[in-house]
Amino acid sequence: MFRHLNKDSLKNNHITYKGHILKQEHKERVVEEVISRVLSNQIANADKVSLETVINDTIYHARKRLEAKKTTRKTKKSILYWKKLKKRLIHSSEEEQKKILRELITHFTSEIVGNFNPKVYKFASNVLPVALSLMLNALSPCNLIKHLPKFPDLSERIIIEGEIELIQSLQKVGTLILVPTHLSNMDSIVIGWSLYKINLPPFIYGAGINLFTNFLLSYYMNNLGAYKVDRTKTAGLYKETLKEYATCTLEFGYHNLFFPGGTRSRSGALEQNLKLGLLGSSMPAYINNLIHQKEKPNFFVVPCTLSYQVVLEAERLIEDELKVSGKSQYIMEDDEFSQFGRIYNFLQNLLKLDSKIYVRICPAMDLFGNRVDKEGKSYDKRGRQVDIRQYVMQNNEIVRDEQRDRQYTKDLGEEIVKSYKKNNVIMSTHIVSFTIFCILKKQNADMDLYHLLRTGGREDNLPLNQVYHALHTVMERLKEKVSQGELAMDHDLQNAPVERILDDAINHFQSYHKIVVIMRRGDRLYPSDPKLLYYYHNRLLGYDLEKEIE
Amino acid sequence: MGKYDSVAVIGGGSWGTTIAHLLAKKGNRTYLWLRDKTIFQEIKNSHRNKKYTLEHDLHPAIIPSLDMREVVQRSEIIIVAIPSESFREVAYQMGNYVQGDQILISACKGIDLQKCCTMSEVLKEETCAKKIGVLSGPNLSQEILKGHPAAAVLASKYHEVIHKGMDTISSPDYRIYGSEDIDGVELGGVVKNIIAIAAGMSDGKGFGVNTKALLVSRGINEMGRVGITFGANPLTFTGLAGLGDLLVTCSSMQSRNYRLGYYMAQGKSMKTALQEMGSVAEGVNATKILYRYSQKKKLETPIMDGIYKILYEQHSISDITASLMAKLNKFEIDRTLYELIKK
Repeated sequence: MFRHLNKDSLKNNHITYKGHILKQEHKERVVEEVISRVLSNQIANADKVSLETVINDTIYHARKRLEAKKTTRKTKKSILYWKKLKKRLIHSSEEEQKKILRELITHFTSEIVGNFNPKVYKFASNVLPVALSLMLNALSPCNLIKHLPKFPDLSERIIIEGEIELIQSLQKVGTLILVPTHLSNMDSIVIGWSLYKINLPPFIYGAGINLFTNFLLSYYMNNLGAYKVDRTKTAGLYKETLKEYATCTLEFGYHNLFFPGGTRSRSGALEQNLKLGLLGSSMPAYINNLIHQKEKPNFFVVPCTLSYQVVLEAERLIEDELKVSGKSQYIMEDDEFSQFGRIYNFLQNLLKLDSKIYVRICPAMDLFGNRVDKEGKSYDKRGRQVDIRQYVMQNNEIVRDEQRDRQYTKDLGEEIVKSYKKNNVIMSTHIVSFTIFCILKKQNADMDLYHLLRTGGREDNLPLNQVYHALHTVMERLKEKVSQGELAMDHDLQNAPVERILDDAINHFQSYHKIVVIMRRGDRLYPSDPKLLYYYHNRLLGYDLEKEIE
Repeated sequence: MGKYDSVAVIGGGSWGTTIAHLLAKKGNRTYLWLRDKTIFQEIKNSHRNKKYTLEHDLHPAIIPSLDMREVVQRSEIIIVAIPSESFREVAYQMGNYVQGDQILISACKGIDLQKCCTMSEVLKEETCAKKIGVLSGPNLSQEILKGHPAAAVLASKYHEVIHKGMDTISSPDYRIYGSEDIDGVELGGVVKNIIAIAAGMSDGKGFGVNTKALLVSRGINEMGRVGITFGANPLTFTGLAGLGDLLVTCSSMQSRNYRLGYYMAQGKSMKTALQEMGSVAEGVNATKILYRYSQKKKLETPIMDGIYKILYEQHSISDITASLMAKLNKFEIDRTLYELIKK
């Protein structure tokens, strides 16, 4: 059953990470295991792809990456290292090649491997939100005096809902793999905090290396169980090491978190095409668990949607989406997330405006996309129990089959996408943006998208009545869809009049975004920033609502 | 002995019986599950299924069965050859016994009326199976039973399904080609039924081979437009499951859809024609479903639309032919298809 987290359930929560964090002795074993597995795989495949080719490929990708960077002393030194390695390779024997390969895998593993510091975790989960709240409140001395000692509480702002009891039960009978949607770099913080609040142990997760270069978060990232994922490293050997690391931690029973979107949604839309690389590591881990007859071999995949009224990095993300060249600019190190002032504004907005962030825990599934109950039993779509071990068996024996397992993961990805769609929590900014942008599209049907985004259409304003009317139609249809379980909606909007929904959206846009998104003057509405409208509108794509706008 | 010792065919119609014959001939221990007790007795006692495969002698090793549990539980590969109308119900029944290591292959060239989805989707919804495939191609039962050389495509996203299916089904008379494009192979089989109705009408009206060539080639075009929106690879439609199947069904009285069109062109109503044929023409339902789908997706499918109007809106064949021929002149391969491919 879906459950809304109430304040009582937040009381008496305690850290249950004992036995769940990456223990030092496990860490060493994981590292050893990763190195040994990747090396053995490479040696076993040497008849197809020689070790020399693998090393050469790794050197090539490393140099290409470094040469594309700004020339600094550090990059020069690194390039020199790879050049020397190349020379060493030319004169190397097979044994020497194995040695080089081991060095490379060890290097990658030590770079990837995460850390966990319970003290930092406790601080980050417990003290940091209160400190942030206090700091924000203290902006106004009057407020400080007026509200002390009652601090604003993030738990009133971050709404955790959905299958909370289910995942609390499942973590006892297997290993959880949390797969959230990804909109903002705030996501890691929001999820980390939410997991703590619902009494779940910390999850191991792969965080983009850019987060480790961010002054604000690097310390916490390094100590909260995050391991580094450097997406600029494209060598097959690196990717294999990364996947093997995830596989090993899963086999050791550590709950993992993957962002299957791979990166923050640039367009603001829900993830459609998932990057299944890391998620794919769960299948070999499951098979290994079965082969080793582990007591709790099962993994439970838990999709989770995050919905923000306003998104911290929206302006930069949509710009990036719209720039054709920007799409290759995979990692942005200078977006709003690296600007303390913007984070500050964002959090201030969150607290000041009754703004909310929804963390919706979706129904859990097994690795094959079947629904699971709280005991971890799987069921088909007609509610019949399924013995999932059969999926990896042939003639009563467990069989490894890479193609089959890749396809299972693809099928799982499709189920995750469906779950995101059903559990997408729609908020006022999405509804208003969707409605207005659809009106603009209809009124300027002869313009292509980029033309419309550049000009905002022929008319610079819309009659308010027209917007209210369209909002009303969209809301009616949305309510129907919510009742049919096709999506979810901010609870405050269910019975809200359209006038209030519009006000709410305008207030949120005004209070956070530097650019005016929409403005009201008398009985006219001025859509001033089509790009941001488009960004927030995208959250409602795929529900066949466009036809509702006349 | 392994967990499974047999293969199974679900459905004792003409195609199901023919596949069972092929499987048994190959040396597989072959179950044929069917509901009709008379046919069950007939196959058991005289190795014939007169209603569907006429006087052909079926392979004596076929094990007819009325027991779904036994059939499913003993078979690693299960081929489902049930008409689309009852496919979901039978799939659900199978789902009570199917396990995750089994392979299910749909041999039905229809589309689900209830949800406008393909038969492989129905198998996914009604059972726990993941390893699902589709068998399709230019396969007239009568010719296959006579041992004439023929071929089909077995499509699945799982290579295990393709390889095991090939090993189990293929024979010196019957080649199996593999494909990963399950949507294309399945859609090809569905859309060609509609075009076959049109081809039957064309022949029934006494038009010549020029007209038929026009229908077939423009039919492939429509197949492409619809298929792409389902995620199919348009190249698939140039193969056995597209063009190959279309050529056969558009020129043979053995094709039920072709016969339906032919009889209607001779002045019979759809109801009468179907009654006289005494068997299911998958193109009838497919037309209704794909017409709605095409309208919803705003696809340009004039032949399908025309057939819909003849079958369901009582338009005359002559009027529809005239309206199709009166359409504006255009490029053969127009931009819409390219745009769909690009999307």
